[in-house]
Amino acid sequence: MYLTEVNTLQIIRKQYQFKLKAYVGAFTSLLVMQVTAILFSLGGTGGMSSSDGYLYISGTQYNGSIVIAFTMLWAFISSILITTKAYRNDDFTFVTNRFTSHVSNIYFLLAASIFGGITAMLSGYLLKLIAYLFYNYDAILVTEHAISSILVGATSTIFYILLFSALGYVIGVLVQLSKLFIILIPAFVIGNLFLQAGERVSPLVDFNKVVHFYISESSILLFMVKVSVTILVLFSLSIFITNRMEVK
Amino acid sequence: MSVIKCEKLTKSYGENKALHELSLTVEENKITGLIGRNGAGKTTLLKIIAGYLRKSSGNIEVFSEQPFNNLKVSSNMIFVDDQMNFPTALHLKELLYVAKDFYPNWDMDLAERLFDYFSFHPNERHHRLSKGMKSTFNMIVGLASRCPLTIFDEPTTGMDASVRKDFYRALLKDYIAFPRTIILSSHLLNEMEDILEDILLIRKGEKYLHMPISDVKAYAFGIRGESSAIKEWSSDKEILHQKQIGDGSSYIVVTNTSYKLAKSAKLEQFTISPVAAEDVCIYLTRNEKGDIDHVFNRG
Repeated sequence: MYLTEVNTLQIIRKQYQFKLKAYVGAFTSLLVMQVTAILFSLGGTGGMSSSDGYLYISGTQYNGSIVIAFTMLWAFISSILITTKAYRNDDFTFVTNRFTSHVSNIYFLLAASIFGGITAMLSGYLLKLIAYLFYNYDAILVTEHAISSILVGATSTIFYILLFSALGYVIGVLVQLSKLFIILIPAFVIGNLFLQAGERVSPLVDFNKVVHFYISESSILLFMVKVSVTILVLFSLSIFITNRMEVK
Repeated sequence: MSVIKCEKLTKSYGENKALHELSLTVEENKITGLIGRNGAGKTTLLKIIAGYLRKSSGNIEVFSEQPFNNLKVSSNMIFVDDQMNFPTALHLKELLYVAKDFYPNWDMDLAERLFDYFSFHPNERHHRLSKGMKSTFNMIVGLASRCPLTIFDEPTTGMDASVRKDFYRALLKDYIAFPRTIILSSHLLNEMEDILEDILLIRKGEKYLHMPISDVKAYAFGIRGESSAIKEWSSDKEILHQKQIGDGSSYIVVTNTSYKLAKSAKLEQFTISPVAAEDVCIYLTRNEKGDIDHVFNRG
């Protein structure tokens, strides 16, 4: 019987198509997460009220911020999930090596993050619609966005979701490498938070600075570069540390 | 052309050596039976060949390449065992289509006919199947993928007798139509010896024997007769197995070479019988501590 010559890109494409079908559960959980987040948002995602004794004004804000936060959490958890043994072994039932398995996972996470980001963005409009249809407000103010700012909003949402996804992935991979990381990673995060809260000892990693590094970026292009580089580093690290790992 | 080539292949887990300096060659388009006791290293060897596990030392080549993490080996090989994972989200029928996508030689017609024959339901899910049905489904995937190297690690786990028979028959028929290299590991040698060409016997991680099945069948002879006569006759022979029989007679198994040497001697007084390949393998891989009777003989 003749031997098949292999084409890495072709295998990655097949794996990716396979994962879109096989990991459909990830999209179901996205749906559940976003519906839950929408329910949480029904009371308004922000508000203000003011009074000068005669006049009382109160306002309620509706946007997709809670949905976006939940979607980030979903991306983080789903990424950890697809690094687990059961998912990994599914790949090795068919044709793969460690590299193609990771790259197709990354493609899948990219697609899932884009989908999650867009639906999260749209849910903001859904909330506004619900407020318009079902609540009796005296006045409704709709902030109109130019197409360009919608695009900027969608892009940055997607990039934030991807960032959490990459973070989840590398944590998942570390746990696959050694179960010790199940204890080490939370210990590091929580311990660091305590150090950060106190004032005497400086934390190992200043989370505020890390967060600031991304959210303070006012240029969308620079933000995209910052996030892309981070994601690239996290995913490459994941591929690198498991390339010699035994499976099954 | 040889498909698998190992030289002094060793795999160790800490102090424990699962494979110890194993050297072997498996030729193209042969059905080889991998036989060994529990823990002899069969699965470890197969998983190294499949590229799942890394060798510790020595050398291994599959299709002239290092198998670990090798896409070419993965594309031309399928590894079927009872722990084969399939995504839980897909139905059985969808799984066949996924397999078709990955394996270029996949025969959908064969897969569907076997699928119907074993009465699978297209909408069932793999993780809900019984143990025997899982093995049967895995076997269908293993056969229909027509990989140049097909590895079955204990494929008949949980199958009932008639499905096992069907499996061996299907395997043989498909092999004759589309010859390829097949490795079968199993404990049940006597039911698969008809389809095997070669036997590879490993013992404690080392190769013990690798020869055509016909040679294994003629490897030893059973001789039965009066105990003292047997004892005298066999004093200088290589005895694989001996057993006392109630009426003062004994049964011994000697290798073919010792039998030939002694052919001239007074063999007429004994009853001579062939020894099944499975029994040969059992005698060759038995424990040095003696058989299970020794556990109970405290006196």
